[in-house]
Amino acid sequence: MSSALPTRTSKTPAEGGDGRARTGAPPPGSARPGSVARRRARAGWFFASPALLVVAAVTVFPVLFSLVLSFCEVRLDYGGLRLGSPTLGHYEALLTHPEWYRALAFTLGFTVVSVFAELVLGTLVALVLERLGAARGWILALLLLPWALINVIAAQLWSYLFNGTYGAVGWLCEQLFGTQPDILGEPVPAMAAMVVVDVWKTTPFVAIVVLAGLMLIPGDVYEAAEIDGAGPWTTFWKVTLPQLRPIVAIAVLFRILQAFGIFDLPFVLTQGGPGTATQSVAILGYRILFQNLDFGGGAAVAVTTAVIVMGCCLLFLRVFRAHVDEEGRA
Amino acid sequence: MSLRRRTLLTGALGAAAAGLLTGCGGKDLDDLLTRAAAVPRGPARLTWWVSEIPSRRGGIVADLIIKAFERRHPRISVSKINALSTSDGNRSAIATQLAGGSPQPDVYLGDTTWPAQFGDSSLALPVERLLPDGFWDAYPAALRTGSTHGGQVYAVPFFTDSAYLFYRKDLLAKHGLRLPRSWEELLHTSRTVQRAGDVEAGFLWQAAVTESLTANVTEFLADAGAAVLDGRGRAALGGAAAERAFSLMAEFTGSGVTPGTVATYEESDSQDAFTGGRGLFLRNWSYAWVNASAPGVSHVAGRIGAVPRPGFEGTGRSGVSCAGGWSNFVNPSSQALGAAMEFARFCAGEEVQRLLAREAGVVPAMTSVLTGPEARAAGDPTVLRAADLRLVARPVTPYYPQVSKALYTPANAVVRGDLSPADGVREAREGLRTALEGKAL
Repeated sequence: MSSALPTRTSKTPAEGGDGRARTGAPPPGSARPGSVARRRARAGWFFASPALLVVAAVTVFPVLFSLVLSFCEVRLDYGGLRLGSPTLGHYEALLTHPEWYRALAFTLGFTVVSVFAELVLGTLVALVLERLGAARGWILALLLLPWALINVIAAQLWSYLFNGTYGAVGWLCEQLFGTQPDILGEPVPAMAAMVVVDVWKTTPFVAIVVLAGLMLIPGDVYEAAEIDGAGPWTTFWKVTLPQLRPIVAIAVLFRILQAFGIFDLPFVLTQGGPGTATQSVAILGYRILFQNLDFGGGAAVAVTTAVIVMGCCLLFLRVFRAHVDEEGRA
Repeated sequence: MSLRRRTLLTGALGAAAAGLLTGCGGKDLDDLLTRAAAVPRGPARLTWWVSEIPSRRGGIVADLIIKAFERRHPRISVSKINALSTSDGNRSAIATQLAGGSPQPDVYLGDTTWPAQFGDSSLALPVERLLPDGFWDAYPAALRTGSTHGGQVYAVPFFTDSAYLFYRKDLLAKHGLRLPRSWEELLHTSRTVQRAGDVEAGFLWQAAVTESLTANVTEFLADAGAAVLDGRGRAALGGAAAERAFSLMAEFTGSGVTPGTVATYEESDSQDAFTGGRGLFLRNWSYAWVNASAPGVSHVAGRIGAVPRPGFEGTGRSGVSCAGGWSNFVNPSSQALGAAMEFARFCAGEEVQRLLAREAGVVPAMTSVLTGPEARAAGDPTVLRAADLRLVARPVTPYYPQVSKALYTPANAVVRGDLSPADGVREAREGLRTALEGKAL
């Protein structure tokens, strides 16, 4: 079974940009191919330069600026920011403070639980959708409603449902169990509520991605499995899931990136409370930067978070690729 | 091609460095103050960063003030930038803009807890030298204390928010109960009315992990005679008085007088519960009067009253109110400092203060206006009684957000019953020490 993962195409130094062999002398009959290639490249850079400048302005500059801020003494003076001497103090303050570890633990836990739940539910929903006929379009549109809602609005709607005074969830619990839980006022229910909202909102995204993967699986693979006597359960585990792995990897990567940066849900639902139970690293960074006005410290939170997320994603990809390669050899 | 890539990278780094350096130009304070002292004679344009000011009669209060200013200063035009009404959200937005050296807004409305932090971070112009002699005699002393850091004043008064005890007149009358004079009596009164099934909650207040809880904690501590910081700005929280304040907060939820969900309540949540008829008493800021009295909004309109908060039994004192509210700050990077300062002074002056008493659902900062004809005509008890309140300023320190967090985090745990009052006080004291050393996150 071949992997659908994009394979890296490596070029040797002797190959040109088009992958053809480059030799020391121009091919007979061609006039100065080097200058043509240079002209093409120049034109390419020229046409790409507006986009590159925009990317540099909105991505490269802020990233570089954050890095510089995180490694410098930063003072605010009349007229704006003033950068002082280089320091590792912001990182030292951060990495020796228990609150950062608590925020990291909550963010990691939230990411793992919510992404896993969304993956399982999203796959199940996609399997159902694949088997639907004409109704699929309507159901897809309905499913996408939560995903289409702006995060803050969705969080605000859920905050009404979870509200301890007039919330429908509390009322329902009272009708069913005779007691009204304080959902957002206690650490564990507050964390669970956050996972529920995230799963409600993001499962449709995973379902759509997985559905796209399912539709790409060729029918003859299933026919072959049927001929080999595989039942539905075996077919799912041995045929469907392995074929879905590349697209699932993409969905998981997207979700890890989004879930790790969770800000709007705790900001609207709990303000990071009760205590600091639902304070994510993004909320912590926001507080340090925008409330304490500690620009160096806030930048250090952003940089450490980015490094951790990149590490998680690289690790995931490495494990995933090794797994696929192993299967491919098998 | 590798050379070009290197060139591009160098260019990007150069641009980044240039960008960094442009934000690093310092300015001379004396020069800024000289510019701010002169009101321009030629045309000038100002921008005013202002959140929505509650309206008593439906008018847009900020626009009325701008019109009044432009009538007095026809060559200065003012445009409004709408800001968030929450203190924390507002601070985040304005601080980043000012830290970038933006010349706009020229004047911004900020919380009375901001001056020390904003002054220390050079985000606000020190204005003491730009105010006339005897200026502060017209305003509450707590407002000046809260606006001063390191001997410099960074904010010009605009309006205040004071905490009151709102109550259901009809329910107290039905049960033949008097207004509680102490917290202990309030607990007893609440239980009586709750037991009769007339109301779900006895006392509603704010205990979410936000600035709202810090204001409540500061008031309970002051009621009990405990201080958060000493005269030299060091952590002074502790002792029997502080434990008494924390014990009261725990008792409210422990006894059921306050629902456990108060641990998630901010001002609007508790106000909604009260105006929905779920509570007997409510601690809230003065602006809640307008909403709670509006028949279309409130189920209890016409059946409520507002009095100063009670104190603790045996102390011989009535309760205090946090000195809250909003003041005007001048952006040091403004290109029209003279006009900006003139506008801030105008907002603190008698014309605007009377306008506030007439049109706005807030308490004017100027003491003499509180009993003037406009205030009497409005008949708002939170304005008419404001001069009688004992005000307490929240801690004045450039580390205010960290100090606030050091108070509200353990207090929230005490309210939820996760921490004993004694442990809560101990944790708060430790947190305050860390915060004041600048080591808190």
